[in-house]
Amino acid sequence: MSVHKITLIAALGATLAFGTLYASAQEKYGFGRSVDADEVARYDGDIHTDGTGLPAGSGNVALGAEIFEIQCALCHGENLEGVRAMGAGSMHEGRRDIELLPYATSLFDFIRRAMPLTDPGTLSNDEAYGLVAFLLNETGVVDDANLTLDAASLAAIKMPNRPNFIIDPASRFTAEDLKDN
Amino acid sequence: MKTDLINKPTRRHFMQAGVASSAALLSSTALAQETTLIPSRGPGDTIDGSVTYASRSPFVKDGKMRGSANGLSGGGITPLQNSQGMVTPSGLHFEVHHSGVPEIDPSEHKLLIHGLVGDDKIFTMEDLMRFPSVSHFHFLECAGNGMGEWMGPRGQTVQQTHGLTSCSQWTGVSLKVLLNELGVRGDAKWLLAEGDDGARMTRSIPMWKAMDDAYLAYAQNGEFLRPEQGFPLRLIVPGFEGNMNVKWIRRLEVGDKPWWTHHEVTEYADPRPDDKIRAYSFVMEARSVITSPSAGMKLNGPGFYEISGLGWSGAGTVSKVEVSTDGGNTWQNANLQAPVLPKCHTRFTMPWNWDGKETTIMSRTTDDTGYTQPTYDQMYKLQGPIGMMHNNAIQNWHIAQDGEITNVRS
Repeated sequence: MSVHKITLIAALGATLAFGTLYASAQEKYGFGRSVDADEVARYDGDIHTDGTGLPAGSGNVALGAEIFEIQCALCHGENLEGVRAMGAGSMHEGRRDIELLPYATSLFDFIRRAMPLTDPGTLSNDEAYGLVAFLLNETGVVDDANLTLDAASLAAIKMPNRPNFIIDPASRFTAEDLKDN
Repeated sequence: MKTDLINKPTRRHFMQAGVASSAALLSSTALAQETTLIPSRGPGDTIDGSVTYASRSPFVKDGKMRGSANGLSGGGITPLQNSQGMVTPSGLHFEVHHSGVPEIDPSEHKLLIHGLVGDDKIFTMEDLMRFPSVSHFHFLECAGNGMGEWMGPRGQTVQQTHGLTSCSQWTGVSLKVLLNELGVRGDAKWLLAEGDDGARMTRSIPMWKAMDDAYLAYAQNGEFLRPEQGFPLRLIVPGFEGNMNVKWIRRLEVGDKPWWTHHEVTEYADPRPDDKIRAYSFVMEARSVITSPSAGMKLNGPGFYEISGLGWSGAGTVSKVEVSTDGGNTWQNANLQAPVLPKCHTRFTMPWNWDGKETTIMSRTTDDTGYTQPTYDQMYKLQGPIGMMHNNAIQNWHIAQDGEITNVRS
């Protein structure tokens, strides 16, 4: 462990040094095309942990259950236990992963952009909200069969596993690198 | 042997030219079987050298082992048992996909960089290739390389135990140059890198790393990237887990916090024995493995063998690789083949005379930060029984008296 401490000190020094580089002046090459906020919005679909990026719309557990049956159960299993024949990923990308997540925003973000596997990006915002409501109720994270989620209520959910995520010094990252996260 | 050649397309090509008959081919075949003075190129075999893009000899058969249950997620594993030197051929570089391999026309591909920068900009491939270029040899290793070994020795070859690491020379544009071009705000701490695959794979990258040595690569081993390696553009984050080297990259968002995306918090974080989860374990720590002789091979009696393998470290440069041929009781420094580069595969070799007795051989590497590759016992204390990612423990190969080599734990 003492070796890691030495590395951490070195890494902190390096971080401070790079910190000065952020502001360094550089001759501009002038390549690329400047874009406005509207054009950025056409590319930018990710969701931040504070809820920034969550779209309008809402969905409840009942809608989510309906979509799950049609779009999800084939790979993830009726009880979120996975289906071995659909690959190793499906075995944990269900109940286990939902219980692991530190933020509910990550669940909405992933479902809306990457699922269903064969046709990603085709769920409506309402369907994605409904699926998150269904999954949180199904796994007991939020014990409410009438749960309805929208941008504000989803961002407010506290995932029970959040405090268990730690920054281990063995990761070679400094407290400075990782604070406020 | 030679009779196989008359069935090859080269014969048809030759005959169309009207220079020989099949009778002549057959008679030369008979001669070839009687004497070794006849050159190995028979009449009718290719002489014009006009191949547009050369292939391997049909006698070379080794390839990636493929695994995918649904055809969309999965990948291919590098055959390290036949590897030579430190570079992996592009066609044998391991691949892991989470939502298929997109086919992208480079003339239509664009990269958006936005967020906490002075100017949001879109770059075409032509724009990116106008910037000053950098070329580096770097290894890429999947964080799950060897996860199947965590519960006990399972892989029957080094391809199965360690084949999710590969090494290439990558060419592209430094991320620092691009970010400085846009002007990064003082509160910028993290970047989100997003790929253009079906899953829009996203990973959070710390800003210090982006400004240190990360780059966007458009070429691998002297040619444009292969589709499964991210054509036309991928991120290279030297020494960090493979998944962060986002392929088919389409967007970089500069922010003040990490995004905690699905993949970085579920699959790539490390559960510990105390039920805590180690986040941001990005660095692929020092590791090595003997690639030859290795499991699945058989030594042909006592005598001289060269022990050969690979060492690497995501934290720095390999400073030494030690090899034990007596089950870990004594260790000797192996030769490191030049060049020895940071965050890169390093080929090590050691001459060895096998006395024909049962033994176990292994290697361990130390990098220039002073970190030495751990044993499984040390790893279990750090990560616990289900912490399967980032397994860099020492690998043992058992050699039986008859020369059979198998994968063992101790």
